[in-house]
Amino acid sequence: MAVTGPIVLLVEDEAEMRRALRPSLRAHGYQLIEAATGREGLAQAAGRNPDVILLDLGLPDGDGLDVVRELRLTTRTPIIVISARGQERDKVAALDLGADDYLTKPFGVVELQARIRVALRHGAGGPATPEPIFTAGGVRVDLERRQVYRDDVEIHLTPTEYRLLATLIRHRGRVLTHRQLLEAVWGPNYVEQTHYLRVYMGQLRHKLETDPARPRLLTTEPAVGYRLRDD
Amino acid sequence: MRHRLEYLSATAVMSVVAAIALAGRGYLNSIDVAMVFLLGVVLVSSRYRSGPALLASVLSIVLFDFFFVPPYYRFTVNDSAYLLTFAMMLVIAVAMSRLTARIRDQAGSAAAREQRMATLLATSRELAGAADRNELAAMAERHLGHAAEGVAAIALADEEGGLRLPEHRLFKSKEVQEAAGWALAHGEAAGLGTGAFEELGMLILPLMSPLRPLGVVALTPSAGADGRVLEVLALQTGAALERLAMAERHEEARVAVAGERLRTALLSSLSHDLRTPLGTIEGAASTLAGEDATITPEVRRELLETILEQSRRMTRLVSNLLDMMRLETGALVVHRNWQPLEESLGVALLRLEQTLRDHPVDVRLADDLPLVSVDDVLLEQVFVNLLENAAKHSPPGTRVRVSAWPDGETTIVEVADEGPGIAAGEEEAVFRKFYRGEMSPGRSPSEGAGLGLAICRGIVSAHGGRIWVERGVSKGAAFRFSLPRTAAPPILDPESMETSVAEWP
Repeated sequence: MAVTGPIVLLVEDEAEMRRALRPSLRAHGYQLIEAATGREGLAQAAGRNPDVILLDLGLPDGDGLDVVRELRLTTRTPIIVISARGQERDKVAALDLGADDYLTKPFGVVELQARIRVALRHGAGGPATPEPIFTAGGVRVDLERRQVYRDDVEIHLTPTEYRLLATLIRHRGRVLTHRQLLEAVWGPNYVEQTHYLRVYMGQLRHKLETDPARPRLLTTEPAVGYRLRDD
Repeated sequence: MRHRLEYLSATAVMSVVAAIALAGRGYLNSIDVAMVFLLGVVLVSSRYRSGPALLASVLSIVLFDFFFVPPYYRFTVNDSAYLLTFAMMLVIAVAMSRLTARIRDQAGSAAAREQRMATLLATSRELAGAADRNELAAMAERHLGHAAEGVAAIALADEEGGLRLPEHRLFKSKEVQEAAGWALAHGEAAGLGTGAFEELGMLILPLMSPLRPLGVVALTPSAGADGRVLEVLALQTGAALERLAMAERHEEARVAVAGERLRTALLSSLSHDLRTPLGTIEGAASTLAGEDATITPEVRRELLETILEQSRRMTRLVSNLLDMMRLETGALVVHRNWQPLEESLGVALLRLEQTLRDHPVDVRLADDLPLVSVDDVLLEQVFVNLLENAAKHSPPGTRVRVSAWPDGETTIVEVADEGPGIAAGEEEAVFRKFYRGEMSPGRSPSEGAGLGLAICRGIVSAHGGRIWVERGVSKGAAFRFSLPRTAAPPILDPESMETSVAEWP
């Protein structure tokens, strides 16, 4: 029965780390393939066609970023990069290169499972068209009518605020980098204007969050970007 | 010029003497007259050098002969006995002028010696006050130049025994540099009058300390300069340099000892902080691995939770240590971005949800708070450390207040709790690393390594701000930090921000 579960490819050079993750991934019904080097990982990804790739950025045989780049030449399989604390820039680079999400060591199993779930949902097996109504944390968004409600009261958003919110909803649960959001909402000429994004995010939070100082729906991923939580 | 004046004066004095003798002719016998002339010679030789004195001696005889020896007003002598008188007068005049000159010279050289001593004393006193080698060199150059009645330039020796040549015209030529190197290597003078490198046209003296030369001085002495004074001054400079070097070595040793003591304290505190959780983890894990049948599911869960909690504690400690290391080695890079303060605070509050579960947090941010140019990851760390401290040091159920307001070009942030507060006099000490307030023996094992506030201070100063303990704003401890505006903030034009070029489906 477990044989039919989604295939997870784990590219990680530390044997201890692989050993620690193995039982939990198997217990959740995933078929696990392991690779200890980037080269091996690329071969496995081509040969076994996994549903999710977990990739450690700190691989010994060259830059994990190169692996992301090469993978994206051939496959759209969701990639979750694993990085050490203090590697914020690498993380952002990996995401901008097309990785889908990240985990920072040390991370808990619960966090890992949540990331894999979101990745699978957005991956090849996910729904082709998103549901027209989004609901989370007292906020309801009707994506067809472009209407936004908080606790059943309609909230007025400016066109740009709405675009930002809709972009986040489209990628719900996933992290979006500053660059990705700026490009999607303001256009490719604005990717350096992170303060635009931060100011608008503040405005959205004040309109949608119960406590804007402690956002639960529109969360910040420090130095990386934002995530819309739907769990 | 001066010489000719002296000869003229000598002639004038003798003329006056002759006039006085002529005027008193009626009362003076020839012996008295001879005495008057000798008096004139003494007068001249007491003031002038030997040349004019000799002239005065000769003049005294000529004038005596002309005016007072018959036949008068002629240079001839009738009585040959007078020739003996002339000879004796000449001998006495010359002897007296010699004696007077010697007495005068001795008095003069005593005065000169006194002057020299005073100069040397003043120099040595001034050199003793020099704070560093460069200041010392500048002082010594001035004094040596003055004593040489010319120019002086000093080149100091470096650690490897070479010379650090200054940008000075005296050291321009290759030959001088070579001679300077030689003087330093041999500890001997070179140049004028030394027998070595005579052709340089200047004097190079080593600055000798008791152990080795610490540099050289190049001099252009005038003809009248006293070589011995220059030598003594060079010696004094060398001794002063040695004294400075010794003071430096002493200070280095003192710092090294203090550093060693701190390292020892640090190491013992660290090893305790790392060993405690490791020991706990090992104990709990080995119990579980033993698969003792008596372990109830409840105990098993408890052990697992202990392992989890202790590994989280170690993670925190290690990342604090790494942060501290990054701050201290200068490896910390600040990635500034304009952003609302609220964002980093929000991340910190979310991260500390568990830690702060017993402490309601009041957030009071001024409405007109400007964007701040900060590294969000670092600012979040400051909030996390301050909030963790507040939670740790105040009783459960008490509030923690976070406020921020603009103050001119600066944004002020305050984190205040309702705990016992910071003891008087500890306001600065709390920011020292590995400081843990009153070192109470019963401190709970959950306490950190005393790095939190030191890291805060490091991060805030990396942003150009200040962090301090503010008195009298709350019942408990209140920490404030400032984030000064270091660049012009971006213009937030609502219209251009609202206008988008992105295609929207």
